Amino acid sequence: MFPTPIHQRPIVNQYIYKIFLPISLIIWLIPIFGILMTSIRGLGDITAGNMWGTPSEFLLFSNLYDVFTNTPMIKYTLNSFKVTIPTMLGAVALSCMTGFALANYKFKTNLIIFFIFIAGNFVPFQILMIPVRDLTFKIGLYNTITGLVLFHVAFQTGFCTLFMRNFIKALPQELIEAARMDGASEFRIFWKIILPLTRPAIAALCVLIFTFIWNDYFWATVLIQGDHAMPITAGLKSLNGQWITAYHLLSTGSIVAAIPPVIMFFLMQKHFIAGLTLGATKG
Amino acid sequence: MKKVIISLIMMFGIISSTSLAGTLVINTDTSDAAPKEAFEYIIKKFEEENPDVTVKWNVFDHEGYKQSIRNFLNTDPPDVANWYAGNRMLPFVRAGLFEDVSDIWKDSGWVDGNLSENMEHAKKSMTIGGKQWGIPYTYYQWGVYYRKDLFTANGISVPKTWDDFVAACATLKAAGITPITIGSKYLWTTAGVFDYLNLRTNGYEFHMDLTLGKVPYTDPKVQAVFDKWDELVKPGYFLENHAALSWQEALTPMVNGEAAMYVMGNFAVAPLKEAGLRDSNLGFFQFPEITPGIPMAEEAPTDTVHIPSKAKNKTDAKRFLIFMSRADVQEEINKILGQLPINKNSSVKKGDPFLKAGLNMLNNAYAMAQFYDRDAPAQMASEGMKGFQEYMSNPDRRQKILERLEKVRQKVYK
Repeated sequence: MFPTPIHQRPIVNQYIYKIFLPISLIIWLIPIFGILMTSIRGLGDITAGNMWGTPSEFLLFSNLYDVFTNTPMIKYTLNSFKVTIPTMLGAVALSCMTGFALANYKFKTNLIIFFIFIAGNFVPFQILMIPVRDLTFKIGLYNTITGLVLFHVAFQTGFCTLFMRNFIKALPQELIEAARMDGASEFRIFWKIILPLTRPAIAALCVLIFTFIWNDYFWATVLIQGDHAMPITAGLKSLNGQWITAYHLLSTGSIVAAIPPVIMFFLMQKHFIAGLTLGATKG
Repeated sequence: MKKVIISLIMMFGIISSTSLAGTLVINTDTSDAAPKEAFEYIIKKFEEENPDVTVKWNVFDHEGYKQSIRNFLNTDPPDVANWYAGNRMLPFVRAGLFEDVSDIWKDSGWVDGNLSENMEHAKKSMTIGGKQWGIPYTYYQWGVYYRKDLFTANGISVPKTWDDFVAACATLKAAGITPITIGSKYLWTTAGVFDYLNLRTNGYEFHMDLTLGKVPYTDPKVQAVFDKWDELVKPGYFLENHAALSWQEALTPMVNGEAAMYVMGNFAVAPLKEAGLRDSNLGFFQFPEITPGIPMAEEAPTDTVHIPSKAKNKTDAKRFLIFMSRADVQEEINKILGQLPINKNSSVKKGDPFLKAGLNMLNNAYAMAQFYDRDAPAQMASEGMKGFQEYMSNPDRRQKILERLEKVRQKVYK
């Protein structure tokens, strides 16, 4: 079995593992710990150079209060949901259908279409920045939530299709054939047989897409200009003052922004890990 | 039929009444908290005083505004727009996009009396080609912020002349204290030092000529500025690793008593006080005199309001500009902003020695420079500030840097 479970390794390796695991964990968590510490400080501590020492005052609640009252943080959070949830639904719904079609029907351009979907994943989005901005501008969707959602749906569908197609391909063909024999229409097969069977894959995809889109910063800054549609990741910069970088408020705001995907992760942990490996070995 | 006529008359009534009540469209870049609050206050007060005017106010993102203003002045001009004084407004004035408001400056018939007198010190920075193109409503001072206790402990008094200033640096350095802190990671802080050295060595007019591209960077007068700068850089009077720090991070040594002075704008006071400094150990003084006899001009970036020349409602726009220039209005705005009013009859928040010192200094200033990156065009400013930072880290490269800047000047001001 690969990888070999640690308790079957030589005893020395086990000790090395036990020593280095906590050390590397701590190194990984230092930045997050730093943000947590900064979020309970005041700006005074930061200016005085007290970054890692004991905070001179405990200001978490006043920082939280400032984050929500000085800036449209509530609006930004709502915007994030308005972008994330439709994108999640749209991309998953589309990819269920494309995945089903590409996995089940034999037609000439099947593979080509599938490759086009996959190829979309390999285009670095920095290259798309200017064309996409121009496109949304010409369609009149620049600076709107709809524009951002449509773009995300289009871009995420590629990855989702790959995922769903491979998952559906691995389902036993006999189920579909049996249904066909019984005279079920193609849509009925999709709706009654495929969808229920792909539920774990759908759940996994939803979690993945939710975190991807929630954490998106790039497209939010490219396609959105005003407060009315700005999601929380890009809205965090408004926490800065006119002159001053408000590190304490930025940290508090970042923690607030990170809460929904973290909750999502813990609620759906099982699906999340399944999502990373599902379909990976099937093709 | 009767009903139709009545409703037609009513409709007409509504239409004509809306056209009678003027709508004043104001575009501003006040997206930050305090400036936004200030404009909310101003607009409310203006509407209360002028019930016949309805204000429509568009707030733009602070950064995005720099681009948007180019568009909307041409295509969809508001009646009033805010902007900045000095050479920053030059391109718009040249393109004929700002209205000449010299009559407001001359007019003495309205409530507050003579504007030219009350804002005389700011008139130069609003004047292009002998005419005035807007009304300034807020600015803040630049100067030297220092640790009073470190000065006292080392027997230094506030330096008035360049020699005193250099001597003070030497004393501090000998005592193991960094004389001047600075964080040049984002470049602009170095321009504050350069501006003051130039304003004090060569005067306001030369500084304006230089930023307008009329003088080569290899001019002996510019060399003279760098000679003065050498006196500070070569003995190591600036904070050592300044290129790695932001202006904000460079406050730390001052808070901890490791550095004594900072050439900075008044916005540095708030974080310094938050970090524990008090009026008893934090002070402010005017940048010392270098060439005796040159009138003292100051660095005071000024925010202004203008009327686009294509504005639809210029009558009410003028009323708004006059309103903005009033002493009582400027006083209130600047209380919210924590900055300084331009009108000499305004006072500032009591009990703030920094605002008081700034007000005195600027009210008596010969002229106002707007800061290097506002006075010089964007491309020149960014190359210039890169050069200043490089010079501060490697003073030996001075000649090469100046030659490079001269090349940029010839390209930019073609």
